[in-house]
Amino acid sequence: MAEAVLFYLFAAGVLAGGSQVVLRRNPIYGAVSLVGCFFFLAGIYVLLSAHLIAILQVLVYAGAVMVLFVFVIMLLNLKEEELGELRFTFWKVVGLVAVLATAAVIAWRALGPAYPSTGPARDNAILLAAEGFGGVKAVGRTLYLAAVLPFELTSLLLLVAIVAAVVVAKGKI
Amino acid sequence: MNNIHSLRFFWPESVLTVAVLAMLVQDLLVRRSPRRVGLLTIGALFWLALTALATWRTPWGNFPIFGGLLVHDPLRIFFAWLFLAAALLTVVIVPRSKEISSARLGEFFALLFALLLGMYLMASAADLLLIYLSIETVSLVSYVLTGFQRGRRRANEAALKYVIYGGVASGIMLYGISILYGLFGTTRVAGEGGIGAQLADVTSRLFLAHAFGGQPAAQLALVVAVVFLLAGVGYKIAAVPFHMWSPDVYEGAPTPFTAFLSVGPKAAGFAVAIRFFFAAFERQLPGGGYAQVGDLPWPAIIGIISAISMTLGNLTAIVQSNVKRLLAYSSIAHAGYLLMGLAAASTAGVQSILIYLIIYVLMNVGAFLVVIAVSRETGGEDIKDFRGLGTRAPIAALALVIFLFSLTGIPPFAGFIGKYLIFAAVVQRGGFWNVLLAVIGVLNSAISLFYYARLIKAMYLEEAIDQRPFRVPAVYTGVLVALAVPNSFLIFYWTPLVRWAAAAFGGSPSS
Repeated sequence: MAEAVLFYLFAAGVLAGGSQVVLRRNPIYGAVSLVGCFFFLAGIYVLLSAHLIAILQVLVYAGAVMVLFVFVIMLLNLKEEELGELRFTFWKVVGLVAVLATAAVIAWRALGPAYPSTGPARDNAILLAAEGFGGVKAVGRTLYLAAVLPFELTSLLLLVAIVAAVVVAKGKI
Repeated sequence: MNNIHSLRFFWPESVLTVAVLAMLVQDLLVRRSPRRVGLLTIGALFWLALTALATWRTPWGNFPIFGGLLVHDPLRIFFAWLFLAAALLTVVIVPRSKEISSARLGEFFALLFALLLGMYLMASAADLLLIYLSIETVSLVSYVLTGFQRGRRRANEAALKYVIYGGVASGIMLYGISILYGLFGTTRVAGEGGIGAQLADVTSRLFLAHAFGGQPAAQLALVVAVVFLLAGVGYKIAAVPFHMWSPDVYEGAPTPFTAFLSVGPKAAGFAVAIRFFFAAFERQLPGGGYAQVGDLPWPAIIGIISAISMTLGNLTAIVQSNVKRLLAYSSIAHAGYLLMGLAAASTAGVQSILIYLIIYVLMNVGAFLVVIAVSRETGGEDIKDFRGLGTRAPIAALALVIFLFSLTGIPPFAGFIGKYLIFAAVVQRGGFWNVLLAVIGVLNSAISLFYYARLIKAMYLEEAIDQRPFRVPAVYTGVLVALAVPNSFLIFYWTPLVRWAAAAFGGSPSS
C-alpha cells in the first residue's frame, strides 16, 4: 500500500517535471525541471529495488550532466526576445490530441481487467528480486561477468568518441 | 559458451581493437617523417592483413558465444570478408585522394578501423543491447568521418544533419528495444529463452497475450516495437522513410569515405536485419527451410518499405545534377532492391541478398572511384564535369559505363545476376503481393536506366570546355580495372558466389 502511494507520488513528479521541460519557454526553467524529473525517477528506481542505479541517477544525471547543460545554456545567454513567441499551430493541436489519446488507451488498459490480481499469470508476472539485487555487488557481478562484452565495447566507444571530438574540434595539429 | 572460451572466436575483433590504438600511436611516431603517407598506408594494410588472417583462422562453427550476446556462424564470417574488402578498397583509394589531407591520414585510418570493428560486431550481434551498441559505434565514427574536412561548409552541414537524424533514429530504435524488453523480459534475440524461442512456445505466447490485455493488444505492441527497431536498421541501410540524411551526407563527406559508407554500413545493416528477423520470427525446419513463428506480418512491412524505397529513390535521382547525390538516391533505390530479398523471407531470398551485396561492393565503389578521379582533376562532381570524359580519360569513362550498366542490372553485367536472383526469390515465394513487388522492382530498374544513361551521354556525346586528356593515378586505374573485370565477366562463371552464399546462410545449426 505504502509502495503504491509512493509510486503515484514519484510518477506524478516525473510527469510534472517532464511536461515542464517541454512546455517552458525559458531553457533554464526547462533544465531545472529536468533535474526534478530525474530525482523523482531515482525514487522510482528505489521502488524497483535498483538502489545503485538510483544513486547513480542522482550523482551522474541530476548532478554532473545537468550541470553541463545549465553551463551551456548560461553561456549562450539567451535574451527574452530570442526565445520566440508561444504559438499554437495545427500540428501542435494534433500532437496534443495524439498524446492524450495514447495516454487514455494506456490508462484504460492498465486500470481495466488486463492485469488479474490473482492466479498463475499474476504470479509469473511478478519476479521476486533475489537477495542483494540492485546493490553494488550484484550490479558489479553482472557487469563484469554476464555483460563484460557490452561493458568493454562501451569503453571503446567512449575512447573513439574522445578521439573523434578532438579530430572535429582541434584547431591546429 | 563462457567469456574466456569465447575469446578464441573473437580474434578478428581483438586485432581490430589493437589496430585502432596502433594507428593512433603510429600517427604520432611518423608525424615528422617526409614519407608519412606511405608509412601510414603500409601500417593500415598490415593491420588489415592481420585482421584478414585472424578472420581466416577463426574455426568454422555455428553456436552462440559470450553467453549468447554474439553468434559465431558462417553468416558472420561472410560479412567479415565483405567488410574487409570494402575497407581494403578505401585504404587503397584514400592516400591519392586530395580530400583527406596527409596530415590527418593517421586519424582517418584509426577511425576507419573503429568503424570496421563496429560493423564486425553488428554482423554477429544476437542481443538487442549488442545490436544497439554496435550500431552506435558505427554511427558515431560515421558522423566524424563525414565532417572530416572541417573547413568545408558542405561537410559541416552534412555531419550536423547526420548527427541529428542519427540521434532521432537511434532514440526511436531504443524505444522499440525497450518495448521488446517489456514484452519478453529479455534482450536476447536468439537462443534459449530469447525472443524467438518465446514466440515459438505456445505457453509463453498465451502468457504474453494475457499479460497485455488480449491478443490484439500484444500484437499491436509487437508490431510497433518492430517498426521502431526498423528505424535504426533502416537508417543504416538508407531505406525510406529513414533516408533523408543520405543525399546530403554522401555529397558532403569526402568521396573515398562516401564510397565506403554506401557499401559497408549498408551491408552491416542488412546483417542485423537478417539476423534479427530470422532469429526472432522464423524457425528453421529440419530440411533447411524456414517457417514463420508468431503471426507478425514482418515480410509485408519489409515489402512495403522496399517498394517505397526503390520508387522514391529512382524518381528523385532523375532530377539530380550532382553525381554524388545521384548515386546517393541510386543507393536508396538499391536498399529497396535488397530489402525485396528480405521480404521474400526465405533461404533463397537471403542468399540472393548476400550475392547482390558482393556485386554491389564491386560496382558502387567503382562508380565512386571514377567520381574521385574526375573531381580530382575538374574540382567538381556535377554531371557537366563528366562531359567529354570518353576522350579525356578513356579507361575511367569505359569503367564507369560498365559500373552504371551493372547498377542498372543489364545483362551481361554482374548487376544482372544479383537482380535476377532477388526477383527470382520473390517470385518463387508466390502470391499476388510478392509478384507485384517483383514487377515494381523490374519497372524501377527501367527507370534507373534513364538517369544512368544521362551520365553516359554526358561522357560520350557532349563536348567538354577543357578537352585536354588528364591522368588518372596508376593505383586508381589498377583498382578500376580490377573492379570492372568481374563486373563484366562474372556472368560466365558465378557458381562460387552461389556456393559461398549457400555456405553462409541456410546450413543447419550444429549445436
